[in-house]
Formats: sequence, structure tokens, C-alpha cells
Amino acid sequence: MSADILKEIRRRKVFFDGGMGSLLQAKGLKAGELPETWNLLHPEIIKKIHRDYLEAGCDIVTTNTFGANRLKYPAGGAFSLEDMVKAAVANAREAVREKGRGYVALDLGPTGKLLKPLGDLDFDDACRIYREVVTAGSRAGADLVLVETMSDGYEAKAAILAAKESCSLPVFATMVFDQKGKLLTGGDVESAVALLEGLGVDALGVNCGLGPVQMKEIVKELLRYVSVPVIVNPNAGLPRSQDGRTVYDIDEEGFAAVMEEIADMGANVLGGCCGTTPDHIRRLTERCWDKEQVLPERKNRTVVSSYTHGVVIGRDPVIIGERINPTGKSRFKQALRDHNLEYILQEGVTQQDHGAHVLDVNVGLPEIDEPRMMEEVVKELQSVIDLPLQIDTSDTKAMERAMRIYNGKPLINSVNGKEESMREVFPLVKHYGGVVVALALDEGGIPETAEGRIRIARKIYATAAEYGIGKEDILIDGLCLTVSSDSRGALTTLETLRRVRDELGGKTILGVSNISFGLPQRELINSTFFTMAMADGLNAAIINPNSQVMMQSYYSFRALADLDGQCGDYIRMYGGQAGSGDPAPGQGSAKAGTDRGAGTGFGQIVPSGSRQMGLGDCICRGLKERAHETAKTLLEEREALDIINNEMIPALDYVGKEFEKGTLFLPQLLMSAEAAKAAFQVIKDQMAEKGQSREKKGIVILATVKGDIHDIGKNIVKVLLENYSYEVVDLGKDVPPEKIVKETVERKAPLVGLSALMTTTVPSMEETIVRLREYAPWVKVMVGGAVLTEKYARTIGADRYCRDAMASVNYAESVIGKKNLPQYEKGEGTA
Amino acid sequence: MNIKETLRYLGYGRSQADEQTLHLAESCWRELEETAVKRCCFREYPLSFPGGGVADMGCFQTGSKDLLKNLKDCQAVILFAATLGVQADSLIRRYSLLRMSRAVVLQAAAAAMLEDYCDQVNEELRREYQEKGLFLRPRFSPGYGDFSLECQPALLGALEAGKRIGITLTDTLLMAPSKSVTAVIGVSLAERNCTVKGCESCGRVDCVYRRND
Repeated sequence: MSADILKEIRRRKVFFDGGMGSLLQAKGLKAGELPETWNLLHPEIIKKIHRDYLEAGCDIVTTNTFGANRLKYPAGGAFSLEDMVKAAVANAREAVREKGRGYVALDLGPTGKLLKPLGDLDFDDACRIYREVVTAGSRAGADLVLVETMSDGYEAKAAILAAKESCSLPVFATMVFDQKGKLLTGGDVESAVALLEGLGVDALGVNCGLGPVQMKEIVKELLRYVSVPVIVNPNAGLPRSQDGRTVYDIDEEGFAAVMEEIADMGANVLGGCCGTTPDHIRRLTERCWDKEQVLPERKNRTVVSSYTHGVVIGRDPVIIGERINPTGKSRFKQALRDHNLEYILQEGVTQQDHGAHVLDVNVGLPEIDEPRMMEEVVKELQSVIDLPLQIDTSDTKAMERAMRIYNGKPLINSVNGKEESMREVFPLVKHYGGVVVALALDEGGIPETAEGRIRIARKIYATAAEYGIGKEDILIDGLCLTVSSDSRGALTTLETLRRVRDELGGKTILGVSNISFGLPQRELINSTFFTMAMADGLNAAIINPNSQVMMQSYYSFRALADLDGQCGDYIRMYGGQAGSGDPAPGQGSAKAGTDRGAGTGFGQIVPSGSRQMGLGDCICRGLKERAHETAKTLLEEREALDIINNEMIPALDYVGKEFEKGTLFLPQLLMSAEAAKAAFQVIKDQMAEKGQSREKKGIVILATVKGDIHDIGKNIVKVLLENYSYEVVDLGKDVPPEKIVKETVERKAPLVGLSALMTTTVPSMEETIVRLREYAPWVKVMVGGAVLTEKYARTIGADRYCRDAMASVNYAESVIGKKNLPQYEKGEGTA
Repeated sequence: MNIKETLRYLGYGRSQADEQTLHLAESCWRELEETAVKRCCFREYPLSFPGGGVADMGCFQTGSKDLLKNLKDCQAVILFAATLGVQADSLIRRYSLLRMSRAVVLQAAAAAMLEDYCDQVNEELRREYQEKGLFLRPRFSPGYGDFSLECQPALLGALEAGKRIGITLTDTLLMAPSKSVTAVIGVSLAERNCTVKGCESCGRVDCVYRRND
């Protein structure tokens, strides 16, 4: 039965039903009443609505389960979720049986929650919530699953995965776009198509949000990208409120007329959403039932996506930034061990600013739990950087974890021609979607000739096809071996590129910098080889985008190869400012003026030698770049600890005092802290070179309590405490009490800082304190947040209320700092 | 660009900001203007006072004394919701990890931008209603005075704000995206100078963030 719907769609136009909510309201559903309860309370009304739609000519009725999920129907509530879903399917099934034809779509709407990190719903929990409904609905006899009204691709992914993993029914998905063609979360049509097709939906499209008139443009764009049947279920029109009622700008006939145009444009499955009635559907089916069904042709586009946009891998080369990789980078390795995500994100942002289109993510270090780290890093990166990611690992567990929680269609690095590799990687690509890098090597090693590599490429394509993965989702890596050990190495690679393009009609990728290994002036070789490779059809290059020379090759090649209309990009990059090549759009605007800022008068308080502006002054004025430079110069003549104790600490103290007096304000306090941090980094690097380290005063655990997602206050405290040499363990936001207790006990932390913004989350703070008292009786607890007061803080059992960030520093100093202060001298002594 | 309000949210009170902070505030506004996606929705509901100090707006009831004062002489309410979208939250999050000073200024600028946006939409509504001979009270949000957050699910539910403009609630009734506002706007036949506004209705008169125009 269920597979028949797909056959049906191949043969003729197929029709969905229309709205449910407005019909229920007309039948007496009250404001605030949950519509799904009517499956049990008024099954005859629900059945009647389904039947009316079938009478009107629709083929697929959707169950009344839009909001049926565990969040809205908690266990132990008045209604059993499972019973309700079963009843919903039974009602629809019954109507189909009476009519003698039709299909039942199990309807999955949004959870009503925003996913982490911006909301509080975990991705895995979202999957679990949907799985529960799909399991009940498929057992009750649904013919297909319809994931609909999704305005967040990430949530749609959770629902689709849940559907695929708990039943074998066809899965359809429709998203809500606005008039600009964007999802509420910012994704465009192309990224949505890449994501949904990657996940293997059987049909996809658009519903709700707009009327058919406004949807036409969206449908047009959809049809440009899509290879599966297209669904269009608009609202009855654009709504407006008239005498307390919702009315639409077009009538039933107007609706059907525009839907006919949409059918002619190429939409395959048509129906309605909010405000549409059996009358809308009747007029629609009357106009369209005998129209010829033309299915979208396979587009064979190679696309990866982030949550906002797709990146097409084609003739115009794509730059994949290679810097998020610990190989040969000691600071990166340390950042991974410390879970210092700030450092890793900075690497990502810098590459984006320099023109990367995709970021490679490799976190492989022998001593770390790679699957866990990969998941953590991917989650963080995708929450602040809108570039697609390339998941780079040889650990298939890490690969799967990252692919599962990735918000889009990723690049995967890599598979190769070995049986075992293909057997492990291809099922993941098929299940989660992705474009995979395929190395042209196999059990026999790397073939010396292009012919050998092409043979492996053919084998990879053929095996992928057995898994249902098309050629467009594979990038052949022709492999480059160092030219210093094999003088024909470059030529073999280039020949492979050409032949993949010309003989196999495939796409290629290269890690370009291998070629120059062991040679001096590597960038010279790299950039020249890069140009040669692009000329031979290279589609994607894994390079360091922060390298000016490489990007010069890229921009000049594009100008010369007719890929840069009127040399626009080239001129934008290099016009006027010869050789600058440092666009830094994101950060550029963020840089504080170098010499701006009212004098603090600090220079008079701390003499800084003959210098015009001492390090202390740079810190007071919040001049990050200058503080960095000045610290470098100072280190040439003075000892690290002398600089810290006599320049930096007094400056930080001064700024802190002025802030407390109310003559300096939060932005300045933080700019100073950032300037100090930049200076500390220089000093730390030098000390590390000498094998020294700056000792920490002690551990402070920070967390925004369970239920609270506003963590800016906690983040401010963190920045300041770090400057005062505390080892801050930042547990993030929405942190359960157990986790805070566990970390405190394990680390024997002397001080915990908790933040909560709203009255609704203070109880969770109180609970955390109670548990800390029980399991970590030694610990001091400081609290802060908008609704807290001295008195309130005492009521919930905190040791100290901190009205601002400086107050928390002062408290830390009194609890830990002062008694540990001699460690500064100790540090010097061991130097 | 509302630098004055941005600085107020940063706790400047009556103090002057230095030039560097002003530049930062302006640059944050520009970035936010490019990034934030402003959306709003509203619907009118009949208002009744069934007694016992309760206001009933069809989709929920409340016993908030402050709101009742604000809604005196009103026959209907407009439920209102507005947001700067997940895009504003993402931007603030990005800088929280990269440059905290910018994150706090963006946070303040976003709050100011959202208030301005609500003011602008409310002004349009005010004019529209005035043509019909009706007068609007200042908007009043859950969380102001004794108007509890408990009514958020019903208010957002009635507006279908999740589906239409993407405002969701956490288990603890915080809105996500965080740069979002919900409010009740009283509709009355009588023009009245209503003094029960948001910030000013709060009992904490010594608050550094208090509006004082």
C-alpha cells in the first residue's frame, strides 16, 4: 500500500488535503484547547473532515497529529500520546476505507521548541520525541510520514531521521519559507533541498506561511534544484484580521487558479494548509486532476550545505580551509586537550574572513576521545560559523557522530577504494546525506599511474551506486605525492584530474600542499601547482586560505578562466591596495580603533619608562593589538613576571577600581580584559618556549543553571577571572545540578559561580546550592543574575551575591587568590 | 541607530561614553542591522473582567494587578509578539566566544533595536486604531510588575508565534530566540494618559537600567 503512493506520483498529479485547525475551530474547538485530543473525544468529527477531503478529490489525508508529541502530552497526563496517535491514524484509515481509496499520511509538525544551542531542546531528544510518534503511527497503519511546517532544517532533520530509523514508510517533508525564500532560521531554498535530498526523502516541498501567489517564486527556485517530486501546500492566501475573524486575500476559486499555474510549473503533489477547506481542494482537483505529471529531472548537482546556504562544487573551484587540524600545531593540540573551543573557533573565523567556502574539521589526537571531541567541535562551529563543514576523520564512530548532529549536508573526508573503507563509510553517507571525498587508492596502495587511479575511481563509483549514492556525491581525490621524491608526481595527479572530468564526468578534490613537502619556499610550488590543477579542472581544494599567495592564485585563475564576471572579485580583492589581500570583513569591523579612546590618565599612575604608551596604558585603554605588540617589545628587555606584576596587574586593578567607582563601564572593562589577554598570550608563548608556565591561582567552576539559556553574564565573569589567573572551568548554560556537583567534587574546586537570569530559573540555582552543600561542603558559592539581590541570594543559601563581574573577581581573590598569591614568585623561582 | 538606549542598557546611566565605546556601539548597530531579521505578529481579542480582580482575554486569564491597572476602561486587547530572530542570538553567541566586549554591546544594541521595532509597530497600530476612534494603551509585557510569565504559553499559542515568527519557550518559560518580546496592548474607547508602562511600573526605583525621560 505505502509504496503505491510513490508509483501513483510517478503516474499522475497527486493531491493532499487542506487545513484542519480552522475546520475544528468552526466545529467548536476552543482557543487553547489541544486539537489532537479530538481524535479521542470527537472521532466522528475528525473522520468526517477526512471524508470531506476525500470526497473533494484528495488522495492523501493527513492525520490530526500536528502537535502530538511528548512535550505537549507528557506521560501521566490526561491523554495517552500513543492512544491519541493510534486513534488519529484509525480515524483517517476509517475514512479511506469508507471512501474506498486514499492514503494516510502520519503528520509530524514542529516540536514547538528551538534546538540547542540557541534553544533548550537537544538534537537527540528531538529525534526521540519524533520516533515515539512514528512508531505508534506506523504500527497503527499509516501509509507515509509527512514532516511539515518546518522552519528549521535542523528540526526537520531530527524528524526525518526518526522516521527513517523507526519505520520503512516513504517520508515526505515540506518547509516554511518566507517571501524572501528563507526559513525562519535563515536557511535558503538551496540549502533546504541539499539537506532533505541528502537525508533521502521521497518528496519535498513547501507549505504554510504564504498563499499560493507568494509561493510561486519559491516553487520556481525549488524546481531549479530538486530531483525528487515537489509538494506545494500553501495557506488559503495572505491572512488579515477582520472583526476578530481571519480572512484571506483570495477566495477558493482564486486559490485553485493559482494552484493550477503552480501545477503547470511542475509541482507534482498539491494541496492546502491553513485556512483551506474541502471546497478549496475540490476546485483544485477539478482543475488539475488530468494534467500531465512531469517529474523533476535528476539535477546531478554536487552541493554541500550549512544551516544557511549551499555551496555548489562545480567548475568554479571551492576553497576548503585546512587549518582546523592539530597536525604539527602544538597550540592547537593544547587547545583540544583543554577543550579551548575559542581557539578553534578563531581558526574557523579567520579562514572564513580570508575567503574559505568550507571548513575542514580534524580533531584527531591519540590521547583524546575523538568521537566526543568531534561532536563537540562540530556543534560549536556550526552554531557560530555559517560555512559548510568537512568532517575529516578516519574514525568512523567520530564520523557518524558528527554526521548525525551536523546541521546541513556535510562534506566527508574520506573513503577510499578499499572494500572495508567503502563498507563502513557508504552506509553513513546514504543514511545521513553528504558529499564524500574518495581517495584513489585501495588495498594495492596508491597507483603510480593516472590509469591506475582512474580504475580505482571507477570501482568507487560502482560500489557507491550499489549503496544508492550517485556520482554527484563523490569527489575523487587524485592524490598528490611530493614532487621532491617523484618528479612525475604532479603530472600524474593532473592527468588524473583531467581524466576524472573528461572520461568519468566526475568531480575532483585535492589536498594541495602535500606536493611541496621537503622543498624550500613551499608556497611557491603550492600556488603554482594549485593554478595548474585548477586549469586541469580541479573542483575543490583543501588549502590554507590565510596564505596570500594561494588566494592570489585562486582569484587570478578565476579572473582568467571566465569565472569572475568583469573580474569583479579580483578587483575587489586587489584593486587599489596592491598585495594587501586581507579582507577580514567579520573581524575588520570588530577591531577597536588603534589609537582612539579618551586617556585614562593611567600613564601618570604607573610609570612606563620612556615609552610613549606603556603596556599598562594599552590595557587601560583596551587596545588589544597594541597591547600584544607592546608586550612583545617589553619581553625583549624584561622578565615575564616583572611585566605581569608591575605593568599588567596594576593596570587591571586600576580598571577594576574605576569600574567599581562608576567612571568606567562594562565595554571598557572588557576591552581592557581582552587587551590584557592578548598580552598574556605573548608572555605565555615565550614562557612555553622556555619550558615555563604561569601558575594558576586555583579552579573556579562557572555555570548558568539548568533551565536558563542566558549566559552572557557568566561569560563576562569568565573573561575577567581568566585574566586574574584563575583556571576557569566553564560548564556552559542550562547545566543540570548533578553535572555542577560532579565537576566540583572531581576537581576539588574551592569556588563555584552560578548565574540565572529569571525568577523561573532561580529555583534550579537553589537546588544546585543544596546539592553542593551536601556533596562538596568545602565549596564557596557566588551567584549573580538580573533578578537576584543580596537578600534573595542569602535566602537560597549562596555565600556571596555578586552584583557585577568585578564583584566576582574580588570574591575569588578573597576566597582563593590572596592566599595563593605567592605562586607568582614561585613561578619566577622555578624559571 | 539608537545609541542612547544602547548605552543605558550597558549601565551608563547619565554618564558620557568615551569615543571608543561610541564607535563600538555604532559598529555593533550596523552589524546587527545587516543580520537581525525582525518579525512580528499580533491579533485582537475581546477583553472582559469577570470579577475577582481577573482580566479575561479569551485565550487566557490573569490576576495581575499591574496589568489590570493598565487595562482600565479597555474593551479589547491586542496580543503582540516580536523578535529579532535566531540570527541576532547567533551573532551575540559568536562574539561571546570571540570578543566579549563586542558581545555585550551587541546584546545591548539588540535590546534597544527590539524596543524600537516594537515602538514602531505599536505606533502604526495606534494610528490604525485611532482612525476607528479607538485608543491604545502602552504595551505591557509578561514579566513586568506582577504580570507573570506563566501566561506565556497561552499568549504565544494564541498568536501561533512559534509557527509564524519562530518564538519558542524553554521549559522555564524563557523565550528563544532571546531577543523577543510579547505584550498585551489595551484597546479602549476612552483616551487616557496611561502611566502604567513597562520599565516605570517596576518597584525597583534604584535600578541602574531604569528609564528616566
